[in-house]
Amino acid sequence: MGVLRVLSRRGDDHITWDEQKLPMNDPETLAAIREAERIFAETRAKGATAFRIETGKPPQKIDQFDPTAQQILIVPRVVGG
Amino acid sequence: MLSLETMLGWGLTTLVCALLIWITARYVWNTSQAERRATHLMKEILTPQELRQLFWRGYLDIPSTLAPQRVYRVPRSDGYVQVRENGHTVMGLCLQPTERLPRADVVILHKLMIEAQEEFYLQTANKFRYFDI
Repeated sequence: MGVLRVLSRRGDDHITWDEQKLPMNDPETLAAIREAERIFAETRAKGATAFRIETGKPPQKIDQFDPTAQQILIVPRVVGG
Repeated sequence: MLSLETMLGWGLTTLVCALLIWITARYVWNTSQAERRATHLMKEILTPQELRQLFWRGYLDIPSTLAPQRVYRVPRSDGYVQVRENGHTVMGLCLQPTERLPRADVVILHKLMIEAQEEFYLQTANKFRYFDI
């Protein structure tokens, strides 16, 4: 399952999709991915940073949404305190 | 017998008190829910060793990707991130999200930023001289 998480004051909001069903053009999967893509673009436009997280690998900053990612985690914009 | 004004006054006071209690209870409930969700996510992201260090020592040491002798010490509670080199604190860093996050999520944020974009992290954070006594 692919998951997009957005860290927020509520803990985290997330949306999931089954990337195995992506080649079959499953409508539910495609709708979830479209929504995840929209959230990705919207939060990034506000200055948030996205990281791709894969088990056993270091996190990687990404600028493009990737539906094949295991997990994408978006953190809000940061400033020097 | 109470006058209409007195009854209205008491009614209004009771209503305001009930509203305040409801708002407070809702805030506490939402905050604890957020903290629980953030702690759950932290258990997914951190390794068992990192979790042990965070809970038993109160901080998480994140090795630098740029300098092998450098470690970033992220506190579990609020506070500065310490930059440690060869076992000594050499600098304090302050960097925070623009949106309020549960503390466990802040720890995750520091870890991701240090591991994936350390240069940007260092450029953005405010730096403090730190004297290790």
